[in-house]
Amino acid sequence: MSEIDAAVSPTKDFAPQNVQGNILRGYRHGKVRHLMLEVSNRDVARRFLAASADGTQKDVPRITRSADWSRDNPLETCFNIGITFAGLRALGLPAEQLATFPSEYAEGMARRAIKLGDFGQSAPENWPSPFDQPDRIHIVASIYSNDETAFDTVEVQVGRAFTILGTRNGRNLPDDKVFFGYTDSISQPRFKHVFDPDQVGVDEPKDPLGTVLLGYVTHFEGVEFAIPEPKNVFRDSAFNAFRVLQQNTDAFEAYLSKAATELEKNPRQYELLPKGAEANINGGTNRHEALREVVAAQMCGRWRNGTPYELSPNSDVLGDLSKTNYDYKFGSRCPAGSHMRRANPRGGPIVQRVANYSRRLVRRGMSYGPDPETGEHGLLGNFIGANYGAQFEAVMCDWINFGLQDPEITGTNDPLLGANEPETSVFYLTTSTEHRIRLSGFPRFVIARGGAYTMLPSLSAIRYLSGLKG
Amino acid sequence: MSDDGGWLNTYVNSLPERRWFQFLSKYVVVPFWVWRDGKPKLPGGPRPSPQPSDSTQRMMNLLMPLKDPSPIGRAKAVMALAQNVDEVFAGLDNVGTVHSARFLLIEDHICMISVYDGDFSNYIRDFISTIGSVFDALMLVVEGGDKLRPCEKNVEAFIDWVRDHDLFQAPDFPVELFALQDAQIGKKPNDPPHAVESLPRSLILQLHANRNISLGGGYRGYPGYSAAQIRNKLGVGW
Amino acid sequence: MADPKLVQDIVEALDIPGGSTQRRPVHTVGIGVTGHFVPSPIAPEYCVAEHFQPPAKPEGVPVDVRFSNGIGLVKEHDGWSDVRGMAVRFHLKDGKSTDLIAMTLSVFFAPTETTFLKFARHARPQPCKRETPWQKIKHYLKLELPLPDPYPGQTERPNEAAIAFANEHAWAQPAVVEASAIGAPVSYVRADYHAVHTFVVTGRDGQERRVRFTWAPVAGVLNTNPEETPKDKYLQKDLRDRLAGKQTERFTLMMQIGEIGDDFDDSSRQWPPHRKRVMMGTLTLEHVPDDQQAHSEKLSFNPWHLVEGIKPSGDPVLRIRKDVYEYSSNRRGGIPCPFSNVKG
Repeated sequence: MSEIDAAVSPTKDFAPQNVQGNILRGYRHGKVRHLMLEVSNRDVARRFLAASADGTQKDVPRITRSADWSRDNPLETCFNIGITFAGLRALGLPAEQLATFPSEYAEGMARRAIKLGDFGQSAPENWPSPFDQPDRIHIVASIYSNDETAFDTVEVQVGRAFTILGTRNGRNLPDDKVFFGYTDSISQPRFKHVFDPDQVGVDEPKDPLGTVLLGYVTHFEGVEFAIPEPKNVFRDSAFNAFRVLQQNTDAFEAYLSKAATELEKNPRQYELLPKGAEANINGGTNRHEALREVVAAQMCGRWRNGTPYELSPNSDVLGDLSKTNYDYKFGSRCPAGSHMRRANPRGGPIVQRVANYSRRLVRRGMSYGPDPETGEHGLLGNFIGANYGAQFEAVMCDWINFGLQDPEITGTNDPLLGANEPETSVFYLTTSTEHRIRLSGFPRFVIARGGAYTMLPSLSAIRYLSGLKG
Repeated sequence: MSDDGGWLNTYVNSLPERRWFQFLSKYVVVPFWVWRDGKPKLPGGPRPSPQPSDSTQRMMNLLMPLKDPSPIGRAKAVMALAQNVDEVFAGLDNVGTVHSARFLLIEDHICMISVYDGDFSNYIRDFISTIGSVFDALMLVVEGGDKLRPCEKNVEAFIDWVRDHDLFQAPDFPVELFALQDAQIGKKPNDPPHAVESLPRSLILQLHANRNISLGGGYRGYPGYSAAQIRNKLGVGW
Repeated sequence: MADPKLVQDIVEALDIPGGSTQRRPVHTVGIGVTGHFVPSPIAPEYCVAEHFQPPAKPEGVPVDVRFSNGIGLVKEHDGWSDVRGMAVRFHLKDGKSTDLIAMTLSVFFAPTETTFLKFARHARPQPCKRETPWQKIKHYLKLELPLPDPYPGQTERPNEAAIAFANEHAWAQPAVVEASAIGAPVSYVRADYHAVHTFVVTGRDGQERRVRFTWAPVAGVLNTNPEETPKDKYLQKDLRDRLAGKQTERFTLMMQIGEIGDDFDDSSRQWPPHRKRVMMGTLTLEHVPDDQQAHSEKLSFNPWHLVEGIKPSGDPVLRIRKDVYEYSSNRRGGIPCPFSNVKG
């Protein structure tokens, strides 16, 4: 408690004890279990929520607050919940109040599929249980711990109040990697009023709290996102897109090899990677391997070790190089079509100039799998913001897919995350000249396998919902 | 059409053009079917699509009902826009995704007709943040506009209002209407299939719910390209 | 090679009374025309095929064109509402050639070869049933359009059976609805013709694109007045009159580019009219040859008769048309199909 008091600037509005703990900063636990829950008995569910918000009852897990956060003395187990629109209805929130929630949330993730690129393999019709019945998912509860026995204990406690429709287990891979081999979670929004020791020295503009929490100033000058009714209850809540994203790493590595083989025949390959530069990639490697890594680095925007491609044409860097402090410009080394530039174009040139920095999202994720039977593996991601339409969906439908932000990439999709198919996929590599090298024929590497739009309610909202009658 | 089926057949063939039959259709037949099989209003604006050429050069046909359709009320609407010309031009330049935008006074509506790239709600949100003041001025003269002012503080409600007043865009191919009507009432499209001879009725009933519509996606001289792509190719910057 | 039985079944399902096994089973009545095709300056960027390269002669590459009425009757009924065909053969260097086969319908009746056989068998012409006045009134009261009265002398038509079939199979609806209102053009050069299937073209930079082709008449699209009694014979004379002396008629070849989400292997689904569209060239019609047997009736066009730079998509209907056209050509004793010496 003491550190957080010191860390938060004294603004009279911001109340860390009212904000769930997984929103403004990431936990350090290595494992997570997400429970997809159905409210089968309204009264029992409400009693659980009341006890969980209260946090004094022994057999009910306490909701972790932002105020509980401590770097030096972290909680062994953290517990947070997200509630779907169907969940609010199941808990008995009256219709006139339900009508004050944003339409994206009310429709839910499965019905927003086209906007999110969830068609074909990723279509909700193909999602496995429990995501094949999205209207039954009322709550997604998340348990964070390093100790797996804690998961079972909490799951039993939760199971007494809800029907558990399904679970998903996640874990951090060594060195903060994801299955594609990249170091992840380097760039995150930082918030005014919130001290985050992980982000000391980052020079990106600070994001106003309204980027992620309801009830605060946003990045759009003058614009406020609506707080559902009653406003004093739902302020300090956030909206989350929970995504189960399968990562097709075999196809990715196979494509890198195919691309490298093609590039080795391309007379312009030395504009992409000068002769001898292989020595500065992954500690020195052969030409084919080096070209594979260049393709991987340009597709992502970072080398797999985290070095920004914008700052370094080689993965191996002497001395200190910031992983976060840089910007894009016309003619940047980092391709406009790379995953990172699409997800966060920073202050660089974009068509929708008014949108620079306005679509920032908090991303928290852990890897899952491989499944012992199917080998399926991927990411359990949480994409958190104050407004789906202005942030998560805006990024997915105009930037990740479609590429409206730069005329050189418009009509193409994100090479890593995008809704691609070999017949139409295109990605342009930058070179040391004005010439770009066109890659094509790659499939969808990330396939949606489930998810839900959940609200991460403030503590006052949880108490309010637990007190509903009828 | 030829005819060798006798006078009664000829007469029946001419029924749709006969006044008494038109009267009957208008006041009895159509109301009966509206009661029996009425269609909910279909939402305005372009439908979400993952396809790039569907996402460029989208149409907005926004019909905003005037509070006061008298010449004085109309003049107020004209003035609201005339006083904000700079705001509109500077704003749309920085929204960056607009091919064209213009305002029309038609009957009892002030209309915004525009062609833009990308997602509908992003377009509206971006222009509220840049030319919100213009819409604030407009909302003063538009029916139902008061509760949307100021637009910056009512972004979600304003977006929903615009979608509600943007014209439904009829599908490019007539039979696709069946699937849209099914989806609107939460049914799996074309399961079971509709009888094709019922297509005229489906259209009539939809036009009862959506009086004004846009007919198909319209013609484009250079489809599939964004405003920024065209500006880039023309060498005028983006 | 497709299942020979299926190929034979499809051809025979198309045979109707009033047709002839000595003629084409559909698009039976037609007229051959000669002319030239000049690619647009941009065409070579999108397709490396020979007929899209800058031509050796300013008038372009020679073409044979056959316009036709879709119905499989030997007797001409130009004025009936019917799908029309436009088959084009481009004559290339060294005696090589390639075909582009199009029709006024923008979409095909079925997604696969087996579903097409099913459709063809169900949608065979049946004796026309004139709706009684009372049936028509019932339709009006249901806000439906009654079926049109039969044309004078028309005893059979496919309309009733095709609609009944489409009412059970939603995939047939786009084509059936479009066909039911297609009308009759005032001239073969006043209609637009769609190649319907998706093809894969290779551009100069090696880029492959999934595309669909359409011939757009420079004279514009114009149908006859459906209220008037249809004439049986006027289209061939119209073409001869239009091309008399040095007069010409033109079509532009437009190419739509497919995108992610388009089903490239299903020609029963349309692409919206706002896909990227490339102007690929201009076809000029010049002459109606006197020997129509040699220049039209004996020719065997084939949608699979392609050239380097244009590949077929995976459309199973396009695949089987290769063998269906060949079977039909052999049956009627046409000049052997381009594939008769080639392993399929």
